[in-house]
Amino acid sequence: MNTLTTIDELAFAPQLQEVLEDPTSDHALLEATRTGDQDAFAELVSRYRNQITSYIYRMTSDYDGAVDLAQETFVRVYRARDRYQRSYAFSTYIYRIATNLAISELRKRKRRKLVSLTGFFQPSDGAEPQELNPPDCRPLQDSELVDAERRNAVQRAIGTLPEKYRAPLILRDVDGRSYDEIAKILETSEGTVKSRISRARGFLREKMRAYL
Amino acid sequence: MKETKCEAIRRELDELMLGDECSVDVTQHLRECGACREFHEKQTRLRQIVGGLGTIQAPPDFDFRLRARLANEPSGAAFHLRALQWPFATRGIAVAAMLVLFVGGVVLVRNAMKQNVVPQQKPSAVAVGQDDPTRPASRPDEVKPAEGVKPAEGVKPDSQTPSVVVASSDVVPRRNRGDRLSRPKPSLASIDRASEGASVMSLSQRQSAIFPIDASLQSLKVSIDDGDGNARTIFVPTISFGSQRVLATGNQFAQKGVW
Repeated sequence: MNTLTTIDELAFAPQLQEVLEDPTSDHALLEATRTGDQDAFAELVSRYRNQITSYIYRMTSDYDGAVDLAQETFVRVYRARDRYQRSYAFSTYIYRIATNLAISELRKRKRRKLVSLTGFFQPSDGAEPQELNPPDCRPLQDSELVDAERRNAVQRAIGTLPEKYRAPLILRDVDGRSYDEIAKILETSEGTVKSRISRARGFLREKMRAYL
Repeated sequence: MKETKCEAIRRELDELMLGDECSVDVTQHLRECGACREFHEKQTRLRQIVGGLGTIQAPPDFDFRLRARLANEPSGAAFHLRALQWPFATRGIAVAAMLVLFVGGVVLVRNAMKQNVVPQQKPSAVAVGQDDPTRPASRPDEVKPAEGVKPAEGVKPDSQTPSVVVASSDVVPRRNRGDRLSRPKPSLASIDRASEGASVMSLSQRQSAIFPIDASLQSLKVSIDDGDGNARTIFVPTISFGSQRVLATGNQFAQKGVW
């Protein structure tokens, strides 16, 4: 006779089996990669390359650097394929690696203390930095140009956010991830994630006032 | 109360996904509160703009470059093994390098000492004693006669007595205790060098000579047997190497005791 525990297991068993047996799931692909299937890893790369590149680009505002870091993310996944644990979704796992790399890159940049051209336009008394390209309020002929200008302004505004606000905002508002997943990616609590996203939006609202 | 309700409504609006429908309470509040309605409109607009950033495409050669990069990567297992072995390998290399340096240094020093050892002769001055009876007499091997080694400055060679010849201590090889015990004691004999001219000592040689005389306040007594049973005793006065006292002010070159 089946016990209650067994019934619970039976209730979850089909989903678990489905995940395990689905050869196209991320876990299955990584499992195949572990056994030497290069095509499986290529499939994983093709699934996540754009997402990871885009995410790192939003974090760093540097396309070439973002591509390099995205490649480094996949290299790390490949290296650690034998140590991968199924406790989290693969997307959470790979986003966590990408986040760490992006934050590390941002900190390196801070240490390098590059002379920024925008720095000449920043007040020395610690006030909010001014935009190098202030929004041009004149009406434009082409709506595409308006959209392009708005996107650039948003990207610049996101780039000015502190990294602890930047990552959850991008994950939530650009990538559309859930609070739970963001909390797992950033290894923090859901409450912290919500609070940071709310503050990040507040910052953005101030910076994007001309476009709202 | 209203402020608190507005905050709660805004928090709820913040947590909604874009496009999700608001609850009845929120909708009702938005109808009544203009500030929250304006907040909601701006927030929605902002999120639309941010969400409209879209996804950046990876370059077409992304896969190719990644494959090339992975091809240059060592295999995972090998990588971990190397990572584990690297600290030990580094330490091993360091220890080996230190060992090689130590052995090389020892060999070099020994070679240098062998080259500097002058062929020994029979000791001409052998009976060496001191005024202090409590002090052990200097061993014969501490005073080494050697060719070409000049007497100390101020000690004029006596034409009637054999010259006392001392060797620089840096050419005296260190002997083992066993060697010292097994070595036969030299006979008390001296060589008459009265007919020989006094050797000239150059300044550089003087500077290099080191006399194995204890720089104590006691005088040194050297007893010499000339071979005919005539014993001669030479008192070597206390040798002072001089001293200078460096003062913070005043004469820095004043002699000792002079202030």
